[in-house]
Amino acid sequence: MSEGKLVVTSSPEGPSAAGNRARKAPFPARRAGRSHWQQRLEIALLAGPAIVMFITFVMFPVVLAAYYGFFKWKGYGPPTDFVGLQNYVTIFQDSTFQDALRHNAVIVVLSLLLQGPAAVLLALLLNQKMRGRSLVRVLIFVPYVVSEVIVGTGWGLMLQTNGAINGLLTKVGLSGWTVDWLSDPKIAIWSLMLIITWKYIGFAVILFLAGLQSIPEELFEAAAIDGASYWQTQRRITVPLLGPTIRIWAFLSMIGALQLFDLVYIIWGQYVAATAGTSTMATYMVVNGRNAANYGFGNAVAVVLFLISLVLALTYQRFVLRRDTEGALTEGGK
Amino acid sequence: MNLRKTLAVSAALVMGAGLTACGGGSSGPSGGNSSGGAVAMTFWHNSTTGDGKAYWAATVADFEAANPGVKITIQAIQNEDMDGKLQTALNSGNAPSIFMARGGGKLSDVVKAGQAQEVKVDDATKTAVGDAAFSAFTVDGKVYGMPMSILPGGIYYSKDLFTKAGITGTPSTLADLEADVQKLKDAKIAPIALGAKDAWPAAHWYYFFALRACSQDTLNKATADKKFDDKCWTKAGDDLTAFSKTTPFSKGFLTTSAQQGAGSSAGLLANHQAAMELMGAWDPGVIASLTPDKKPLPDLGWFPFPTVSGGAGTAGAMMGGLDGFSCSKAAPPECSKFLNFAMQKKYQEGYAKAFQTLPASKDAQSVVTTPALVDVLAAYNKAPYVSLWLDTLYGQNVGNALNAGVVNLLAGQGNSAAIVKAVVDAAAKG
Amino acid sequence: MATITAPPLSPTTPRPISSRKRHGLGRVSWVTYVVAFALVGVCIGPVLYIIIGGFRTNAEITTDPAGFPSTWQFVNYAEVLKGSIFWREVANSVICGVFTTLGVVVLGVAASFVLARYSFSGRAAMYALFASGLMFPMTVAITPLYILIRGLGLTDNLAGIILPQIAFALPTTIIILVPFLRAIPKELEEAAAIDGASRLGFFFRMVIPLSVPGVVTVGILAFIASWNSYMLPLFILNNEGSYTLPLGVQAFASQYSVDTARVLAFTSLSMIPALVFFSFFEHRIISGLSGAVKG
Repeated sequence: MSEGKLVVTSSPEGPSAAGNRARKAPFPARRAGRSHWQQRLEIALLAGPAIVMFITFVMFPVVLAAYYGFFKWKGYGPPTDFVGLQNYVTIFQDSTFQDALRHNAVIVVLSLLLQGPAAVLLALLLNQKMRGRSLVRVLIFVPYVVSEVIVGTGWGLMLQTNGAINGLLTKVGLSGWTVDWLSDPKIAIWSLMLIITWKYIGFAVILFLAGLQSIPEELFEAAAIDGASYWQTQRRITVPLLGPTIRIWAFLSMIGALQLFDLVYIIWGQYVAATAGTSTMATYMVVNGRNAANYGFGNAVAVVLFLISLVLALTYQRFVLRRDTEGALTEGGK
Repeated sequence: MNLRKTLAVSAALVMGAGLTACGGGSSGPSGGNSSGGAVAMTFWHNSTTGDGKAYWAATVADFEAANPGVKITIQAIQNEDMDGKLQTALNSGNAPSIFMARGGGKLSDVVKAGQAQEVKVDDATKTAVGDAAFSAFTVDGKVYGMPMSILPGGIYYSKDLFTKAGITGTPSTLADLEADVQKLKDAKIAPIALGAKDAWPAAHWYYFFALRACSQDTLNKATADKKFDDKCWTKAGDDLTAFSKTTPFSKGFLTTSAQQGAGSSAGLLANHQAAMELMGAWDPGVIASLTPDKKPLPDLGWFPFPTVSGGAGTAGAMMGGLDGFSCSKAAPPECSKFLNFAMQKKYQEGYAKAFQTLPASKDAQSVVTTPALVDVLAAYNKAPYVSLWLDTLYGQNVGNALNAGVVNLLAGQGNSAAIVKAVVDAAAKG
Repeated sequence: MATITAPPLSPTTPRPISSRKRHGLGRVSWVTYVVAFALVGVCIGPVLYIIIGGFRTNAEITTDPAGFPSTWQFVNYAEVLKGSIFWREVANSVICGVFTTLGVVVLGVAASFVLARYSFSGRAAMYALFASGLMFPMTVAITPLYILIRGLGLTDNLAGIILPQIAFALPTTIIILVPFLRAIPKELEEAAAIDGASRLGFFFRMVIPLSVPGVVTVGILAFIASWNSYMLPLFILNNEGSYTLPLGVQAFASQYSVDTARVLAFTSLSMIPALVFFSFFEHRIISGLSGAVKG
């Protein structure tokens, strides 16, 4: 797509130069005669509303959460029962929370393992000039577009003990394979992974296809000339060059898996998610916070969830993403 | 030139912000307002289908006709969603004027937060209903809700399926029940339908074992101190564990709901796919809505929860709930007026018929003819004491945790000590 | 051994052929088509189940869960379409989606422009501020956000949905748009300056038209996110008159769970607006995402 080419070729000064300019020359030398306060005014007008909205509705609530987390509070009137770190102690000692945390960890890891290699292989396969290629791309992206509520409702009905999946298995003669997909605590987490994989694999394939298309064809031609086999080419050229895309996808996948709520809440409801082995930190937060009217406690869980995501994201950024996007988050992108 | 552009940009952004701020949408229900003669109230109940919904529509219409200038907007909410939505509504100041309440700790939490007003009960209603029912709705000596139906619990069963399995009579002890369960399993009939997805149906089994194991005083004491340190609580859990080891429950109970659809536990009973269900006196009505012809199940019978040996509970004690309604803090006085109106004999009889349940007003109880309900009423009148459902008694926070703990136990993932721990933990969270 | 033209089409090496095909050397192997077909089938299958389920009767669904309709019942879809619930929720979802998108686009483009083309000392901090928004998902903020919205008196009000959604969409929007806007060549800006236009004039006359592709992408992503959002409406909207579609689907499913066929009809009708919207703009969405990954 043309946007990609635009980034690569047009800007005479590279992104790092822009970054340098930010550090060395706060005043744009070109704009002789333009007053400093006028630029400030423009910046304030243009960026101001966005900053105000963002701070009010995104950052401020999290600060509020940290504040409310120090209270026991039923939600009526202002909080008065200060308990310090008690809520946090309760959270970490609660075996239900530990289970939810464990489930989240399993979901994160399995999402990466189940979707990653499969999506890479599928992308490699679909990257060829086949007929109907764009139709295929559209159709595999459909699950991503449909909301998690609909996915949960539909799959919840299909995976019932007497639902469509078991019905289909019986029809093709595999009635021995019919199980309690949702009820059996040993199986429920796998059913959840099945649904998650179904929903997000198309997204991964599309991302990887995009990444594949930015690999210059000359490299493959050179490899062909050197007599490399298909698998050697994939292993030595394609996959490494796909690396940045894979790492970004893994980051998005990990953050999304930590925040999983809609699917679990719709399918298993608030009461049995923990028993079925599919509760997540987010469902734990809603069940023990809002639904039980323990708003102080619920806010404390939110803060814990935030800190866990933050630590993981920063660690990942530092050790994994750093070589791809040097200073991307601090210097305004490449 | 520059200044004009700057102003244009700022105007655009302000307009944009203004547009989004005024972005349409309906505002929520108001608690009620009395301006001049026009009174508007909102009314939340949990009958989303069938006769119950129609009953309320008709009763409200009659009240509006008798009280010109009063307009009541009805919202029917699915039972399982009711508690959460009510919670949020009460929290946000958008509470409905008239809302469903079940008394006990749940109601007293609401009253303590100043979200409900006292209900002015007129004398005729007081005599007709009697003190026992009002006690569940009394907080600090004042009445904060109007009970509409009494819903004692017990085991509903299908007489036909019992006959098919060769069972005569009904079990009176736990050992009898286990023997009957075995006979049903031998006849390839699912013995007991259980809708554990909603948690409370599973928890009811624990409540009844606790009713048999604990004395009345212990049950009431736990309301106040939420400690649950009496040994009877773990005995109840152990009894339930032993019972569930005989696998009496329907398959896949973890994701079976209680009342929603033909796949629910009530639906299983309605379609003769399970033989028994432990439920309150609303069950005949719910089952009737799920039978293929939507008529009451002709062979529905009832027997009280069997006796369990070694417990401190008095024989014949029952546990049940009461469905009623309360008025929110901002509701107009017409709210109490409406509740008294609906308690008149004519409407209580209509209630009993529409919901196929037991009305709270004794004057109207004679209209109950369903055989199962007649048995329930007889046992209720004989009972030495009737406890409220434990989750209602102990409030939403502890009640939810109690219910979830029982589900864990039934799924084989927790023991009786874990239930006690869950309850104590919940008390610590809120 | 090394060859300078295409490697021999050896019958014992089925796979290697495929990768060369990108360079236009011949047919794609049938394996690819089979895999593609299977993948599409798996992806679309459940969606079709929901849609077709709406055409069956409840009895059929109970006795034969995985079958096709014996006669196509239109009554379920008709009932849903005739009722006011569905349309009211569609209207609410549309209002939320449109205003969210407008807000996101206006605020996002303005802020991205500043970040992309102005130099000032706070720029890195401003960018980090928005990028850190990825760490503040709705899930984390929802409990205190609900209390904030309640304090503003916006519960049960669509504005209580729209305003937070705009705010939460800003990080992704800015991360996508900044490289986009930065890519507009400096020469254009200089030329505009020589012609006497101010920075703002440049913004209006040149940047906006040039950034339309990126803006369309972020607008679509914001619209889809708003359309599908469940947790925020779950907390904020209590009165069913103000429900959006995802909330409506769940409420309908629990209220009418007796009527599985009708629930499936309602669910599939709720899918359709998102799918239609997506099919119009899929090229934009996919290339926009690809651009974000590459850039």
